[in-house]
Amino acid sequence: MRKVLSLYVPVAALVGYIFLFAPLLVLVIYAFNAGRSTVIWEGFSLAWFAEAFRDRGLRAGLQVSVIVAFASAALATAVGTSAALAVVKRPFAGKNLFSTLVIAPLVLPEIVLAVGLLVATVWTGIPLGYGTLIAGHVLVSIPFSFLIVRAAASGLDPRLDEAAADLGANGRQVFLRVTLPLLAPAILSAFLLCAVISFDNFVVSTFVSGVGSTPLPIQIYAMLKTGLTPKINALGAMLIAVNVLVILIVMGRYLKTVRKPS
Amino acid sequence: MPPDTTTGTAGASRAAIELIDIRKAFGAAGGETTYAVDRMNLTIKAGEFFTFLGPSGCGKTTTLRMIAGFEEPTSGRLLLDGKEVTGVPAHQRNVNTVFQSYALFPHLTVSENVGFGLSVKGVAKDEIRQRVQAALESVHMGHAVDRKPSALSGGQQQRVALARALINRPSVLLLDEPFGALDLKLRREMQMEVKEMQRKLGITFIFVTHDQEEALTMSDRIAVMNNGTVQQVGGPADIYERPANRFTAGFIGDMNLIDARVLGRSDDRLTVEAAGGRFEMPCTLPVQAGDPCTLAIRPEALHFVEGEAGGTIRFAGTVSGAVYIGTDTVYGLTLADGTRLHARLRNGDGRPTPQTGEPGTLACAPAAIRLLTQ
Repeated sequence: MRKVLSLYVPVAALVGYIFLFAPLLVLVIYAFNAGRSTVIWEGFSLAWFAEAFRDRGLRAGLQVSVIVAFASAALATAVGTSAALAVVKRPFAGKNLFSTLVIAPLVLPEIVLAVGLLVATVWTGIPLGYGTLIAGHVLVSIPFSFLIVRAAASGLDPRLDEAAADLGANGRQVFLRVTLPLLAPAILSAFLLCAVISFDNFVVSTFVSGVGSTPLPIQIYAMLKTGLTPKINALGAMLIAVNVLVILIVMGRYLKTVRKPS
Repeated sequence: MPPDTTTGTAGASRAAIELIDIRKAFGAAGGETTYAVDRMNLTIKAGEFFTFLGPSGCGKTTTLRMIAGFEEPTSGRLLLDGKEVTGVPAHQRNVNTVFQSYALFPHLTVSENVGFGLSVKGVAKDEIRQRVQAALESVHMGHAVDRKPSALSGGQQQRVALARALINRPSVLLLDEPFGALDLKLRREMQMEVKEMQRKLGITFIFVTHDQEEALTMSDRIAVMNNGTVQQVGGPADIYERPANRFTAGFIGDMNLIDARVLGRSDDRLTVEAAGGRFEMPCTLPVQAGDPCTLAIRPEALHFVEGEAGGTIRFAGTVSGAVYIGTDTVYGLTLADGTRLHARLRNGDGRPTPQTGEPGTLACAPAAIRLLTQ
């Protein structure tokens, strides 16, 4: 009986992992399938990776996604960092309300935000395109950059700012020489996470992308209508690789900053 | 750093810092504003080693932070080298601080930390390098230029923090409990070194501590603080030997404080009732019969007597305990009315000492008693 119980945890963990990662595993395996099917194995091949690179629609989608990811991540990180520094370092009325509002997009239904954005776009007459796409992605990524930088900033010794001012540094110098370098790892993590969030975004993109600015996830979704080939699998395998890499960097940085104070 | 020749005996009377009617409110409790620092008036002379001494929460650190410019007084004026600095931000004051936690920049090396002040002022790189090296050598840290602060011990970080502040040649150096985190031996060493440094440089040092021994050994003058107000200002000997009130008497060193009442006076001799006895002592304070007062007696001024020795103040009671502390033994004596006294006697001076539980009489010279009216 005891033996059965001691097996429970590893077995449960294994089942959990299978549930989480089996679909991804199957997707990656069939990326190397020689045949056209995404369910019947016909031999090993790298041909679908080449196919994926050759597909014009996918290339255009990838380009849009990369541009939007970098632009929106840069903006979201800048705004999130500023908001985080304001909350941590400056006293002002309504600070809690402010924090809640900044984090709000995290808990609001994304579909509602997306519809709202589309309505606002139509109402103001702004054409759908890169601009609206980037704006939408900034909106959904700000909470993440805010939370990451706020956590790091509240861990900083406030005496360091005072020490810098004491040594003659004005506000700008304190920021550039002390605050920014100390927060750089957190800001980089925030940037990467925002870029991934933008890259993966589907709901907001569906509503606010325009003709000629279709990001990759929408492009892939459109391909469903013409039938799936292992080309999608190959692309998916590459996206997983890039995302895992980014997550590893972010987590590595995060663990470092968490361990430091001990 | 070259010694500053402009200060010395000639500059000693010049005021480095003047605090004029300074108040700092720190919130209202029950509709009544409470003050971290209340109506402080102080002049700190140039070249002086001045200490704010008091228990935690007495307002000493708040005072220091107002001088540094990290906090603004609620009212009052602050003068630095004769110039009004109220409202001038910290980075524009010619004052540097050594923080309690050192506050070294963790992302910079030791030499970058020390050179920070010169660097933000745009001093040439070559000059910075030379002055950093000299400053680090003056605190015996010339070997650690390229290390990160996290690789240094507490004492070494302390030295780097000192070098980082002093390299800017401030007119006033502020030290906020700088030795709080050091062990006793290192703390003594740093105390000596800092005192020596101050003597050599001639810079005004303003020191904050709750450690009365540290204050007495290092300072030219001490301001004893409690509840946001200055209780007494004076040299170490003034504070120790002539405490102005009950707080200072109780805070500096060990002291027996006995509640008393003035019975009468003739010229400058006073008759006082305390602990169930009557005492006569010289006194020049303006007190009248009936006034409450406090007798303050140092434990080391008391000794055991047998029989009737004349001309001394005597307290008879029961010995309630004896604690051996190396060179001395501290005895407790409970008087008939419950008042407890303690006496500190040298071990092995041949005088008879009573055992715990036996009756005993402690005596001291009238001059060793200090009469306090507040």
